[in-house]
Amino acid sequence: MRVTIVQGLEQAYYNLVHMIAEFLPRLVVMVVIILVGLLAAYLLGHMLRAVLRLTKLDRVSEDAGASRVLRMADLPSMTELLSRSIFWITWLGFILIGVSVLGVAGLQEQISRLFRFLPEVFIAMLILFLGLVLANFLSRAALLASVNAGIRSPKIWSWSIRFVIWILAISMALEELGLARQTVLAAFSIVFGASMLGLAIAFGLGGQDLARRALERYLGNSTKEKYKEPQPL
Amino acid sequence: MADETFLSDDLLRQLMSVGEVDLLVGILSHRSANTVRRAAHYVEKSLQQNFVRQRVAIISVDGGAVEDSGSEDHSGDGQPGNNSNSKGITSLRTIHRVTAAFNGAPSPGLALRTILSASDLLRARGCAVVSPATSSTSPEWVANLLRPAFRDSFDFVAPLYSRHKFQGLLARNLLYPMTRALFGRRIRELYSDEWAFSNRLGNFCLNEDVWHEEPVRSRPEAWMGISALTSDFRCCQVYLGEKPPPPDGAGPDLVEVLRQTVGSLFWLLETHQQAWLERKGSEPLPTFGPDHAVTAESMELNRARMFEMFQTGVKELGPILESILSPETLASIQGIATLDQHSFRFPSELWVTMLYEFAASYHHSVINRDHLVQALVPLYRGKIYSFLTEFSEASASDMEAVSENLCMEFERQKPYLTEKWKAGIEVKS
Repeated sequence: MRVTIVQGLEQAYYNLVHMIAEFLPRLVVMVVIILVGLLAAYLLGHMLRAVLRLTKLDRVSEDAGASRVLRMADLPSMTELLSRSIFWITWLGFILIGVSVLGVAGLQEQISRLFRFLPEVFIAMLILFLGLVLANFLSRAALLASVNAGIRSPKIWSWSIRFVIWILAISMALEELGLARQTVLAAFSIVFGASMLGLAIAFGLGGQDLARRALERYLGNSTKEKYKEPQPL
Repeated sequence: MADETFLSDDLLRQLMSVGEVDLLVGILSHRSANTVRRAAHYVEKSLQQNFVRQRVAIISVDGGAVEDSGSEDHSGDGQPGNNSNSKGITSLRTIHRVTAAFNGAPSPGLALRTILSASDLLRARGCAVVSPATSSTSPEWVANLLRPAFRDSFDFVAPLYSRHKFQGLLARNLLYPMTRALFGRRIRELYSDEWAFSNRLGNFCLNEDVWHEEPVRSRPEAWMGISALTSDFRCCQVYLGEKPPPPDGAGPDLVEVLRQTVGSLFWLLETHQQAWLERKGSEPLPTFGPDHAVTAESMELNRARMFEMFQTGVKELGPILESILSPETLASIQGIATLDQHSFRFPSELWVTMLYEFAASYHHSVINRDHLVQALVPLYRGKIYSFLTEFSEASASDMEAVSENLCMEFERQKPYLTEKWKAGIEVKS
């Protein structure tokens, strides 16, 4: 009995020593990979920041209205955001490679799935960014056109355009990620349909006069004096 | 040399059959065939009476003008092309007519490029451009435009008109004073439908690689004028007469006019910055005839709506204006926008500062440039409302003094624009 216990303990001790002897080199390799990754990520981020500053991306972003949205969301400038993203994505990649060296059962499969998923995440982020830029550009164009045409409540038009494009971009991004496809499609249809129905009802019930005036103007029967501006040239 | 590749075979054939000429008159495209015919008639009459010995040609840039269903304009001394009805001295030579046909109305830039190419191929010494849209065009106008370019060796001839005091307010409050202060030459009507030029300037412009640029496509006359001013060509102004306003509904709306003219001016500031950044003061141009005239009949305008659109614009466009203007200027504008209609005034100092900040922001592309120019529209309405209210009873001489004071204010604040122009962009992070 005593001998059996001692032998068991000895076996466990040998196993532990053997495991540690096998694990330690892998741990060192992982730490090295993570440290190299940190350096590579830092260099990549730094290089990207320099290139983006040279190409004046912040000016383009400011022009497209994306910077304003970033400020509203308390995020840094576009250059900084992209540089930091590259830093973290690169380092995360190296960390995952390092972790996979450890050879922990089950972890390998999860990591490879995560890597396969990354391109879709990138595309979804790109769709969201382009949607954001387009929404800002078009909503600003609509706001300026409404204000200059003397249309009442110009922000309604501007926000409607922004809202529709945002919804569309978010739906497309979620579709790309493959998250709850049916739910997203149904939600989009409901939100979009409800908005259009709401507008139709609001215009039909609340905007009878507006509709009449618009038709009169279109058909040239308006009795109201037309707004006349002094000749600019 | 003219780039002949964009000229149609038919046009080249017509030009080759003409040979060489001394003078060329270009008639720009217009929607109505009758107005084109009337303009062609006046041009022909003018050439017959005033340039008897010269070889002349008329080129009509035709964008598929529509035949009017109404009565034809018979207000001339004779029908177009009917030489027998013309009175006085008539030309000793044949007047050649050339038509440059396009499918649909060509842009003003393309029309001018066609005229310049034709002028180059025909080796015309002087060339005038007239618009059928101007209802008051007369034979004398054409002759007055052509004479300085042909006989007095001027390279660019700008028109001067007699106008109502509340007509041409964009030109009076923005385009003329700003151009004068920055380019240092007092040219009143840079954005006009009629002007003339020498073959020297014509060839210079023809060889410039800017014809694809939107400001040149929409307002080629302003680009040509500024090119002449900044490249040491001889420029002058000639008084033509009264320019009546176009009928209601004719021509582009205010937003489009500002996009074309102010957008073009800001673009010209950028492309010719070496010519104006260091220049100080302004000089008058040689002028033939009176230095323009102002009439003061009453005119009905909906001022209350104009003021309302200014207030709405300042309120709704706050975030956009914030990225264009300095905080102090924006605060001042927001301050005056809260005043009531009767006490509202848009001070000249603020107007000039604001415009210079718009120009600098355009240069630095703080937002999309077309959006930037559109954001100016409500502010322009505010300035015009203030102008109309302040000077409703002013005489013609008072108006001239007001205009001169505004020009001086633009000149006084020019260093501010230079400073803003040269400063780097501040991107908020």
